[in-house]
Amino acid sequence: MRIIVQNAKCQGHARCAAHAPHIFKLDDAGYILPGNIEVAEGEELTASRGARSCPERALKLDREPCSTS
Amino acid sequence: MENPVPDHVPPEMVRDFSLFTSPGMSPTPNGDPHAAVACVHSGPPIFYSPLNTRDGRGTWVITRASDQRRVLQDTETFSSHRSIFASALGENWPMIPLELDPPAHGAFRSLLNPLFSPKRVAALEPAVRERAIRLIDGIAASGTSCDVMKDFAFPFTVNIFLHLLGLPDDRIDTFVGWGRDLLHGDDVKRPAAARTIVSFIDELAAARRNDLLDDFMTFVVQAQVEGRRLTKQEVRGVGVLVFVAGLDTVAAAIGFDLAYLARNLKDQELLRSEPGRIVAAAEELLRAYPTVQLIRVATKDIDFEGAPIRKGDYVSCATMIANRDPAEFECPNTVDLAREDNRHATFGYGPHRCLGSHLARREIVVGLEEWLARIPAFRIKNGTAPITSGGHVFGIENLILDWS
Repeated sequence: MRIIVQNAKCQGHARCAAHAPHIFKLDDAGYILPGNIEVAEGEELTASRGARSCPERALKLDREPCSTS
Repeated sequence: MENPVPDHVPPEMVRDFSLFTSPGMSPTPNGDPHAAVACVHSGPPIFYSPLNTRDGRGTWVITRASDQRRVLQDTETFSSHRSIFASALGENWPMIPLELDPPAHGAFRSLLNPLFSPKRVAALEPAVRERAIRLIDGIAASGTSCDVMKDFAFPFTVNIFLHLLGLPDDRIDTFVGWGRDLLHGDDVKRPAAARTIVSFIDELAAARRNDLLDDFMTFVVQAQVEGRRLTKQEVRGVGVLVFVAGLDTVAAAIGFDLAYLARNLKDQELLRSEPGRIVAAAEELLRAYPTVQLIRVATKDIDFEGAPIRKGDYVSCATMIANRDPAEFECPNTVDLAREDNRHATFGYGPHRCLGSHLARREIVVGLEEWLARIPAFRIKNGTAPITSGGHVFGIENLILDWS
């Protein structure tokens, strides 16, 4: 599973990091770091909770297996 | 008629609703202004309210949370520049960063973000907790009743914030009085308080220019945006915003939260016996009892969900209305302290998301944790009634609790 990060929509609510600071990393101003997030096996539930917590809808879940290219 | 409905507003889109004049909005003993506004969800998603600002102007009212997101995220169409504070003085300068639009907004926001970031707030937490404990221990030692607003909510929140600003706490009562007059006062008190606050901030900035300290105003007078120092008017804009924003809202939130718990003893006992639930519960109480109405000004004509919004029209995004949207929250009028996916609008959406949100949250959580750990089962004291009010900033004047 992968989290698609839309940085332009992030407004620094930091709700994702409140759910899972080790998955959603913030910069010093409190906004999410750029780049999509590959979710480790076993972390799917926490990660999807964190993604769903965004008031701006800046985080999207991509459940497609990322190994296919 | 002082406030005629503009010609472009279709008469069928006008509704008799206002955060200032609808039932439950004026000071009401045992009122529930948040529940009172939730009734708009039985009506259309957007309508026109002829009298919906402090100075008696009409606004469009956006009721759906998803539409409020659209308005607040689209700063090109919906400007936040309206000099709400300065206009009370007949002047025109923005509170910063709230009343600047992107791209000018970004530089100032970036300057201030690190001062209020989650990391910074985590570092402030021990001092916040110590302050809560000291106040509540004092209350517990002196009897079995108190006025939460006067004895805890205001001294707690305003003290933290004055420390942040580097201001002395022996003037708390004065500052709280200014805030009360400004946010809840009449047409005489409001401009007088605004003038007093501006003079205070101007003098404070001048003092810090002469004598640098390790505090917020020193930071502001020394700060640079785009390679230059801030102008005196910009320093004033930042100082006034931060001063005004910290005076009232968190205290009101703590008041509404403890009033809820005083009336719902099962929930109160649940949080007291399982304090691990307080973080999620605080989030739900933020959803249920937010305090502000956000207003934007249309920068161009736009047809929005069937409403002919015209350039210059005011558009209201009341957080307390979005938070009761049944399309976004299941059973929105029920307080469910374990609610999941609680993406409430309390701190707004878009680039103007409340700068102090992380600090506010922490104060509310710490306040509830320490209160519940130190004060046994409490209820609203017999013969007393908390007085609540609507308006631009929702408030609670008094909350006499009893645990005898």
